[in-house]
Amino acid sequence: MLSRFSSPSLSLPLPFRHSLKPFSSLSLSPIQPNSSPPPSLSSSPPLFLRPLSHSTSLSSLLSFHHWAKAQALSVPSLSSDLLRQLSWFLQDTTSPHPSQPSTVLLRTELDNLYTLWRERVEQRKPFQYIVGCEHWRELVLVVQEGVLIPRPETEILVDLVQEVEGFGDGVWVDLGTGSGALAVAIGKLMDGESKGRVLGTDVSPVAVEVARFNVQRYGLEGKVEIRQGAWFEPLEDMKGKIAGIVSNPPYIPTSDLPGLQPEVGWYEPKLALDGGKDGIDHLLSICEGLSVALKPGGFFAFETNGDKQSELLANHLSTEYRSLFQKVKMVSDYSGIKRFVTGYRL
Amino acid sequence: MECPMTLPTKVGNVPLNFLSCSIGLNSSRFFSSTHLISASSSWSLCSLTYSFPEKNSSRHLVPVHSTSSSEAGVESNSETSEWAIQDFYALRKEVEATSERVKEIMASAGLEQLEAERDSLDKKSADSSLWDDPSKAQEIMVALTDVKDKIKTLKDFMTQIEEAETIVTLTEELESTDTSLLQEALTTIRRLNKGLNQYEMTQLLSGPYDKEGAVINISAGAGGTDAQDWADMLLRMYVRWGEKQRYKVKVTEKSLGEEAGIKSATIEVEGRYAYGYLSGEKGTHRIVRQSPFNSKGLRQTSFAGVEVMPLLPESTDLDIPEQDLEITTSRAGGSGGQNVNKVETAVRIVHIPTGVTVRCTEERSQLANKTKALIRLKAKLLVIAEEQRASEIKQIRGDAVKAEWGQQIRNYVFHPYKLVKDLRTSEETSNIAAVMEGELDPFIRAYLAHKFTTARSEASIV
Repeated sequence: MLSRFSSPSLSLPLPFRHSLKPFSSLSLSPIQPNSSPPPSLSSSPPLFLRPLSHSTSLSSLLSFHHWAKAQALSVPSLSSDLLRQLSWFLQDTTSPHPSQPSTVLLRTELDNLYTLWRERVEQRKPFQYIVGCEHWRELVLVVQEGVLIPRPETEILVDLVQEVEGFGDGVWVDLGTGSGALAVAIGKLMDGESKGRVLGTDVSPVAVEVARFNVQRYGLEGKVEIRQGAWFEPLEDMKGKIAGIVSNPPYIPTSDLPGLQPEVGWYEPKLALDGGKDGIDHLLSICEGLSVALKPGGFFAFETNGDKQSELLANHLSTEYRSLFQKVKMVSDYSGIKRFVTGYRL
Repeated sequence: MECPMTLPTKVGNVPLNFLSCSIGLNSSRFFSSTHLISASSSWSLCSLTYSFPEKNSSRHLVPVHSTSSSEAGVESNSETSEWAIQDFYALRKEVEATSERVKEIMASAGLEQLEAERDSLDKKSADSSLWDDPSKAQEIMVALTDVKDKIKTLKDFMTQIEEAETIVTLTEELESTDTSLLQEALTTIRRLNKGLNQYEMTQLLSGPYDKEGAVINISAGAGGTDAQDWADMLLRMYVRWGEKQRYKVKVTEKSLGEEAGIKSATIEVEGRYAYGYLSGEKGTHRIVRQSPFNSKGLRQTSFAGVEVMPLLPESTDLDIPEQDLEITTSRAGGSGGQNVNKVETAVRIVHIPTGVTVRCTEERSQLANKTKALIRLKAKLLVIAEEQRASEIKQIRGDAVKAEWGQQIRNYVFHPYKLVKDLRTSEETSNIAAVMEGELDPFIRAYLAHKFTTARSEASIV
């Protein structure tokens, strides 16, 4: 809710509220995953972090590999990708035995490897949810169902932050932090001694738990703080003091959701994807709270759904908020799509 | 001239590295006797070494009039005295041959010049203002160590050959056969020849990146599925070669063809001098065979391109301005971003001024792929700069790049006859099966020798 930050002269519409729709309401998804909340990280660690307490013979593992390869090749359009994922799957779940060459150590029972790979190929469960992690920039982030898997495009946002003069000394905010990717990456860039800090906010308790776990994994508890709440809601105390705001908010138009790639549409949280009718509802909401949150000269950078949205947003900021922001520009991603809108508060 | 001391090709279960070969007058002087590279020398090719057990050398010389050994340990029979004399003549011959080698090497090395260079570098290193420019200082110190090492090695050669010659002369003059002395001479000569081989090899592999590991990139060329299968065969060939050399070989990327074979693949060969040996593989490889993919089983020609770059460490010092780079990723998802779950994050970088392109797809994050691609691009540019004798990346001639990297270098004919022929050196063999199993050494050696002679003749013209 942005009403906390609204100044009296601006009448703000209530942000588009959407509830987390249960999977079964999407007519095109044939799979009905269980709707109970995902397991907590402390009780059930992600697969790639589990101890190597199981084992199997090398020949059994080779049989699995043989079978898994055949499974991958059975989907010609995805086979190249799947083969690569298979080798990473084994990288994350197995290890050679230190002294017995014909034995392999596993992080889960061999039977489960079969089950998980079947889930990947037949049920299109995202690879990252299966192994429990996503390699992103130089980090390995824990992810699980209920949390958006960080996208490669978003990596560039960190580069844009790094280019801001004196960024290391200010308080930075990652709105809708999800797994905490941006928050952790920016926190890592900051010198331990500096005044710089990062605050990540997310409305989802699952995301908050995962983000905190990732912050802890990288030893950044002193630098990065995760607060639960929607957008600027938990940042009341930081009004006007924020040096920079980044966000990768949900930006997919609601009508596009059913047509998404199954790994995305059937498994990732709609809360992290749905941007309303044109996909820009959240982006616009954030823009409305921007000027009050940022300190003078503060920087912002947002990710959007591409050319159209970026142009709309950049235009919006340069006209509606002409007196508040400057140096508004669009930055392309490596596919040549205008992916980011950046600028400074006057 | 035949070397009388032919060594076994295998000692125990350890296969010898490819540098051991037999000599003939027609082959280049560079590999003039069968020897192994010792592990102890400073130029040791660490993954290729096998230290030669000295005790084997006593095969021919049996102690006859040994003054030090006890009766019990000495084998003696009525034929041994004759045997010893034959072996002395053989030893004398070998000493003469080795002496010739040393003279040649000393002549071409220019000891006086090297000593002058050392003196000048010595003076520079004593200068108090040397470390004002740390990188220049480092360069000077490294060069000084290198030239000092070289001088020491050359002087060692001279000492060793003089030792052996003295023993031979003494034996002749005194007309006695002190076999322990002759044994010593034999050992010295063997060690000396090993050293000479290594010296000559390092002369051949003296390019700035020759000592590094290598990255091989294979891509299927014209010929459709047959070419893709051919590329796969080359992949196997290089992996087998690397394994035989005891290098650490890793296929980091492989893009499968639709029906068979591969569209492209990348191999990392880790180990000293891998780049020096493999750099000659760069170019187009042509196959002629009855294609299993041709419906009528007709004879078909296909091509595959091989690129080789040094495997440079991340710390490689080369700054390329960002505006010279075009960085792109595949647009598989259409809209990208939140719309897509992309596990593959391949990055392609084009160096705009020269057109040199690299693509990296094997890492797990986009940033990691970008970083690796950048390192590979730098390696490629540095190699091209060196080949074109450009002192800066800025001076690289882009038009010449494409021509160089696409030149046809070797033909592999499976039908109607079997022949592998290198177009640059004329080296050929009909044992194509062995070549496809990684037996590339004759071709590599021939190319290195060819490169050296070409460089030598260019230098002498200048």
